[in-house]
Amino acid sequence: MSIYGSSVKKPITTIMVFVAIVVFGLYSLVKLPIDFYPEMELPAIMVFTQYPGANATDVERNISELLESGLNTVTNIKQVYSTSRDNVSIVTLEFEYGIDLDGAANDVRDALSFYSTYLPEDAEDPVIFKFSTNMMPILFYAITAEESYAGIEDQLEEKLVNPLKRIEGIGNISLVGVPTREISVNIDPRRMEAYNLTIEQIGNVLRAENLNMPSGIIDMGQMSYPLRIQGEFEESDQVKNIVLGNFQGKTIRVKDVATVNDSIKEMTIDEKINGRTGVRMIIQKQSGANTVKISRQVNKKLAQLETTLPADVKIATIFDTSDFITDSINNLTKTLLFAFLFVSLVVLFFLGRWRATLIIVLTIPISLIAAFIYLGISGNTINIISLSSLSIAIGMVVDDAIVVLENITKHVERGSTPREASIYATNEVWLAVIATTLTVVAVFFPMTMASGLTGEMFKQLGWIVTITVTTSTLAAISFTPMLSSKLLKLQSKRKQAGRFSHERIVVPWLDKLDNFYSKTLNWCLHHRLTVIISALAIIVVSVFLAAFFVKAEFIPSADQGQVTAEIELQAGVRVDETAKIARVIDAYIEKEIPEKDLVSTSSGYDEEAGFSALFGNSGSNVISITMSLVTVSERERSDFEIAEQLRTYLATFPEIVKYNVITGGSDMGMGGNTVDVEIYGYDFDKTTALANEMAEKIKKVEGARDVSISREKSKPELRISLDQDKMSASGLNTATVSNMIRNRVYGLTASQFRESGNEYDIVVRFDEDFRNSISDIENIAIPTQTGFIRLGEIGTVDEYWSPPNVERKRRERLVTVSATPYKVSIGEMSGNIKKEIAGIDIPDGISVEVGGAYEDMAESFADLFLLLVVGLVLVYLVMASQFESLKMPLIIMVSIPFAFTGVILALLITRISLSVIAALGAIMLIGIVVKNAIVLVDFINLLRDRDYELDDAIRSAGRSRLRPVLMTTITTILGMLPLALSTGEGSEIWKPMGISVIGGLLFSTAVTLIIVPVIYRIVVRRAERRKARETEELEFMEV
Amino acid sequence: MKAIMIVYNQALTEKVEYMLEKLNIRGFTQWPTVFGTGTTDGEPRMGTHTWPELNSATLTIVNEDMVDTILTKVKRLDAINHEVGIRAFVWNIEKTA
Repeated sequence: MSIYGSSVKKPITTIMVFVAIVVFGLYSLVKLPIDFYPEMELPAIMVFTQYPGANATDVERNISELLESGLNTVTNIKQVYSTSRDNVSIVTLEFEYGIDLDGAANDVRDALSFYSTYLPEDAEDPVIFKFSTNMMPILFYAITAEESYAGIEDQLEEKLVNPLKRIEGIGNISLVGVPTREISVNIDPRRMEAYNLTIEQIGNVLRAENLNMPSGIIDMGQMSYPLRIQGEFEESDQVKNIVLGNFQGKTIRVKDVATVNDSIKEMTIDEKINGRTGVRMIIQKQSGANTVKISRQVNKKLAQLETTLPADVKIATIFDTSDFITDSINNLTKTLLFAFLFVSLVVLFFLGRWRATLIIVLTIPISLIAAFIYLGISGNTINIISLSSLSIAIGMVVDDAIVVLENITKHVERGSTPREASIYATNEVWLAVIATTLTVVAVFFPMTMASGLTGEMFKQLGWIVTITVTTSTLAAISFTPMLSSKLLKLQSKRKQAGRFSHERIVVPWLDKLDNFYSKTLNWCLHHRLTVIISALAIIVVSVFLAAFFVKAEFIPSADQGQVTAEIELQAGVRVDETAKIARVIDAYIEKEIPEKDLVSTSSGYDEEAGFSALFGNSGSNVISITMSLVTVSERERSDFEIAEQLRTYLATFPEIVKYNVITGGSDMGMGGNTVDVEIYGYDFDKTTALANEMAEKIKKVEGARDVSISREKSKPELRISLDQDKMSASGLNTATVSNMIRNRVYGLTASQFRESGNEYDIVVRFDEDFRNSISDIENIAIPTQTGFIRLGEIGTVDEYWSPPNVERKRRERLVTVSATPYKVSIGEMSGNIKKEIAGIDIPDGISVEVGGAYEDMAESFADLFLLLVVGLVLVYLVMASQFESLKMPLIIMVSIPFAFTGVILALLITRISLSVIAALGAIMLIGIVVKNAIVLVDFINLLRDRDYELDDAIRSAGRSRLRPVLMTTITTILGMLPLALSTGEGSEIWKPMGISVIGGLLFSTAVTLIIVPVIYRIVVRRAERRKARETEELEFMEV
Repeated sequence: MKAIMIVYNQALTEKVEYMLEKLNIRGFTQWPTVFGTGTTDGEPRMGTHTWPELNSATLTIVNEDMVDTILTKVKRLDAINHEVGIRAFVWNIEKTA
């Protein structure tokens, strides 16, 4: 028994099957995490190797080069690059998309275990670090305080961080710029030396005094008493009264040689939030955890926890990645609902009957919900790609049901009972329905196998459309006939249609349209040459327009309401000086950028902010500003324009060496949006000079902003060179001397002071006044067997410029000059840059390449082109077998170029660049537009088989297929319309897709309805004449 | 005894079955799918892409007095919509075993 027969005869079973699909789908939907993009693990592994004491070039030669060549053999590697700095080498291995990173990490480990024997002995073992977009922080909070600022660390750790860590899925919570309590013993070296003491001695005494020690057990009578010595400091005040020793009969206490402060550690970072002192809290999630859910929980918990904190502590959100996600998702959900509504209205408009409309529209939720089952099983998320895929599918899933229902209605109108009509009418069309679905699948299924970054993005789209369309076909041949058999009534034609009925209002219009089309088609059939020439003209013009006016872009950047600025002052500037500039900028932002919501500024670096230090440069001379803006609807300027304003302002500071203003937040995985000029060459001076020259030229290129050179500027450093002979004369060596200097300048952590379960460092070092000039350093007294010797006597202190970091790519040294486009497309800008730098003389041994996001873009477009070719081939295969003809598919595929013309026109009219997303829309069109032509050609063929004369067949087929073609086209267009019109959060990303599909579909449908019949006529007429000549009558019939 | 062969559009299957049942005709032989076309008019029923519809045929052997009743019913069924199509053909039964 056929599927449609069974489902009509067993309606309960049919309903149950589809209810099961819906229930399972809704269950998956509830469980599905929400995210912005599908999980796109940036497949990269970093290998860190520390080589203490080596400068950048040593690190490069001894470690980076060796590891690069060793690790190059690991399979699936796309690119290897490295950065060598003083003391550390970072080798980054970039893999092909879609590989198993764990497996790759094992391969890397194996290779390392082999090559690490060749590393220098002093180098530490390499450490592997898997990079994942998951590690990007999801929440940033600003915590400000007034009176309680000093003691805020414990408060926050205890009352905020620890409770928050209990939330499931939280990876790590770090506090940046938090003031740390420290008991500092600031020594006056002159007094210390006068009493013949050293820092080491003082440290030892403190360590020896601050001690609790169990000392055995004493049995007394019937009892045992544990013996215990209690020497630990109970208050920090005790420290200053500790006896250090005797000098000339006098007891020397700590306070005699030092001042003891129980206060905040010297800060290397200065945090200000909206101009107030504060701390930044950064929350990362665990891999695979649900961003939106976590952020909801964190915010709920924070509200509770805030009440337990002192009243002056305020918590504000700097950046909540989930806001943008939720807004975008809500926006898309709205889009989806509108699409649903529009599609329903179109169906109602054409059919004019409530019940029929209901039957068709019901297939929408069923097919869409089936997609959630896929998302749930494959461990995906609800994200903008999956939701916009649904939006795309929504107009297509009704097509099959419409065809089936139309045929059933025809039978019912002829007097069959709905039950019989449902079975037999479905029987007549089910194969055709499956064939048209196959052409759509032929275009979308290859997307599931695409590779690269685009592949990762569009895999979901491919799967979702394939699944929803397949489900819709299944529903159309089982659920639709079943419902029709139950819901359609035996039609007794009403004698008089009501005044406001569908027949009186809509049908006459549709009839007029049919007549108009029929006449036009007739004219065109008689003026074939004119039609063909105009068609060719359209294509030529559109190719011309595309070549000269359409701008290329990678992925449209969305306004995420965030602007970050990274500002670098002259290398070596002190934190307090940096902070002063930061205050000035803060004040400017406060006054001149009304769109800002929250501004968080930090100057300097946090010693403990390990992870973030990996990415940004850090140093006492760096200011980073994160500015969150009010929502898109509440402001007029885009984040781009605000960033531009900030740039112009920053350019006015002579102190600022380099600045970089970036819009958007957590789209690191998307590879940024810069054009990079890569300069390969071994010679530092030559490449740096060339980079500077290029940077100057690029700055002049229209729209180029944030032009920056990747090689850091040399930093001044003070270098102590020790004299071996002089040291050995005093019984010293480099190790002891350097240790002593470190203790005096950086400080010696003598012991820990314990208070209510927390430990605070007791740090002994020279008072700041005695360690802030070269002569102070030269004056440091080094104890020897025979007394003190000054550092200046055994060595010299020189100012020195440390060599820059060494970056390598493809096993060659490299400097990158990068630029961000502003109000120009990336493709256009990279073209201009190429032109601009073409005139520069490139010295021997240096090569220059233009890459960056532009390179990714070129790669993605290449992938898309491949997808286009595969799609075209598959569509041809499906159609050729469907028509059992090699020629028919070609006639039909004539409509495809016009779809692209439509895309080009739509992009030009809306002034949108051709991004990967818009291009994808164009590829999707292949599957959608051929559907129209298939319907038309198929019916012409059918009529010709029914012995219609060629022109008659074409005209009647056109007339009778006009409505179905218009109906499926309009449902698809209206399904996409909300996508194309949406303006809310994140809409920039999917808008181009909606626009290109609508443009392409409108134009190609209009053209298809004319050009395909005309070409059909030309091709078939020829074939017929030839056939007529060739065919001979069969002999046996001859008389 | 007469043989009546009723050939009809598949869409009429249930109606034909209903008719036989109501007339208390128990014996029949049925071909659910047959191809064919009318002598003068009527669309071909070939089950192909061009002519997708199909016919069914039911052969029933009845007493002579039933023949007219059946033919009237068939005519009335046909009158509902000529496009759908139903025909009945009658011939003699020589012998049965």
